Amino acid sequence: MTAGLFTRLEGPVTFALPTRALCVLGLLLGLVAVVLVVSLMTGSYALDLPGVLSTLTGNAPSAIADTVVWQFRFPRTLASFGAGALLALSGATLQNVTRNPLADPSLVGVSQGAGLAVVAAIVLFPQLPYGLRPVLAFAGALAVAALIQWISMRRTGGATMRFILTGIGVAAFISAATSAMLTYGKIDQAMAALGWLAGSVHAAGWSDVAVLGLALIVLVPALFAASRPMAALRMGPEMAVALGVRVGRARVALITLSVALAAAAVAMVGPLGFVGLVAPHLAHRLARSGVGLHLGLSAAAGALLVGAADLAGRALFAPIQIPAGIVTAVIGVPIFVALILRRQGSPS
Amino acid sequence: MSVAALPRGSLFAWAVPVAGVAALLLAFGWHISVGAKTIPLGTVMEALVAYDATNFDHVVIVDLRLPRALFAVLVGAALSVAGALMQGVTRNPLAEPGILGLLIGASFAVVVFVGVFDLAPPALIPLVAAIGALAAAVTVWGISTAAPGGATPLTLVLAGAAITAFLGALITAANLLDEETFEELRVWLTGSLAGRRLDVLPWALPWLAAGLVIAFGAARQVTALAMGEETAVGLGMNVGRLKALVLVSVIALTAASVAIAGPMGFVGLVVPHAVRLFVGQDYRLVVPWSALAGAAYLLVVDIAARMALAPVEISTGLVTALLGAPIFVWLIRARL
Repeated sequence: MTAGLFTRLEGPVTFALPTRALCVLGLLLGLVAVVLVVSLMTGSYALDLPGVLSTLTGNAPSAIADTVVWQFRFPRTLASFGAGALLALSGATLQNVTRNPLADPSLVGVSQGAGLAVVAAIVLFPQLPYGLRPVLAFAGALAVAALIQWISMRRTGGATMRFILTGIGVAAFISAATSAMLTYGKIDQAMAALGWLAGSVHAAGWSDVAVLGLALIVLVPALFAASRPMAALRMGPEMAVALGVRVGRARVALITLSVALAAAAVAMVGPLGFVGLVAPHLAHRLARSGVGLHLGLSAAAGALLVGAADLAGRALFAPIQIPAGIVTAVIGVPIFVALILRRQGSPS
Repeated sequence: MSVAALPRGSLFAWAVPVAGVAALLLAFGWHISVGAKTIPLGTVMEALVAYDATNFDHVVIVDLRLPRALFAVLVGAALSVAGALMQGVTRNPLAEPGILGLLIGASFAVVVFVGVFDLAPPALIPLVAAIGALAAAVTVWGISTAAPGGATPLTLVLAGAAITAFLGALITAANLLDEETFEELRVWLTGSLAGRRLDVLPWALPWLAAGLVIAFGAARQVTALAMGEETAVGLGMNVGRLKALVLVSVIALTAASVAIAGPMGFVGLVVPHAVRLFVGQDYRLVVPWSALAGAAYLLVVDIAARMALAPVEISTGLVTALLGAPIFVWLIRARL
């Protein structure tokens, strides 16, 4: 946040590029590309590197290779990248707005709200078109976000920690409601919902990639447009007011954006835990940067995290596939604990 | 009106506990009488007093419904007492076996044990659950005391949430790796009184009894500790020993209830808080009343779980979470 601001304050001549952050961003994107290629190679029908490259350029060595890569592995890998980037951006936004390093869409119940809405739709109205899922997920997630805000903000202004605790309670409630919904539903619908709830990209096709891509195209520019008020909010409401930000309006707009980002990802691949917590933190540790670049770094880290988690989940115990959501939770929790241990009295 | 305020030896001091036990018995009878076929209370009494093996209703009552009602009484009492003790000793209104990760720790240990050894002897299940609960308790306590600010309600709940998320993910993964073994554990993992663990019951009872005896014995000192560590030390108490005793009791109670019914969240949160509203802060009253009210509470919750969407049955653990989570949120608002 500070690099750009300070260079402008110190004088118009200095135009220091955040070199380290840009290098890290390039490195992360390179790793994403590596994960993509390895992911395309790995599976029950193994392909070597030239095979993958020639399939991608349209000269598949065999018809099977063409189908496996283009119909299954490529959309699946892209979906994991997209979902990871969306969740990371959602988490980064939520952390900046609530000024709470522990805020994560899956921890405070936003993902679960989206999940409940989708499961309710699958179980109660199975004939509902697939395309409505993101809308329902957004409505559910927004309702939960509003509820938590309402509960935790009413007593005192800066209730950052109460926000998290309230979210944990609300998440427990929604998880129980979702499970109850699954008991009530017919078994085949319940199974369809259950696979999705574990947070898995294994069934992702090009339509999912299209929705995720659309969400990124629509929401990311909005987010970058709002990065200035976000930077101000990160310094605290008093400072934000002093900088001329309408705090109430900016907060509502940014939380809505964050919820929309998480809802798009959850609607397509299910609630992937702790990505929104880990990726922004990782980005922060790798390179200090302004809010805008930090968002970019977070998105790249999130894409890398979920892509690698999906790859690990299907390669480690092959032929059994561990959903990516489980891998991200197992990676994310130790980092969450480390954050609890490092947290000072007030978030930095 | 507080029970503690009543003059000793008066009619009311006796009437209130008697009324409580009567309410528990009434809930017990009601629990047995409702179900797929409603059996009149008179028949329930008859089956218990003069069992007739040729009477179909009697068989249903004694073989199916009575064990389930007993499970509800035992688990409700155990978890409520465990919750009351944890709240007193950690001086944290949000403490509870579920929220602080003990239930998931015990469940995880049982899942691993049953998954690794196909013919898991029921005698060992409470022990395995106790080891899991202890490991989870030590981890959560370690994390929250090492965190800046110490073991505040916030750090305890966050550490508990972390353990819950971590072990929950591992349980799901284990579930996927070995679907056949976990078919029968799946319902148990949502907290169910449906009574498939009848073989475990005799092995869980000693744990339960030991936990309750320690809890009743330590109640007086827990009252002092709940007022603050300095107060307790000033009164000449060995705080470290008391804490260890209470930990043993909480672990035993949690292990017994998980072995019988799986993880049943939020019971230990709701009941002691409700009890304190009536009897005040004296744990000599809070502990026994929590046992009584917890038993009655879980009986009523289980009736709701069976009746709400009949003929489909919701897992009891889900209903306790649906009722308890709003209370948890309310406590955060009211107490923090």
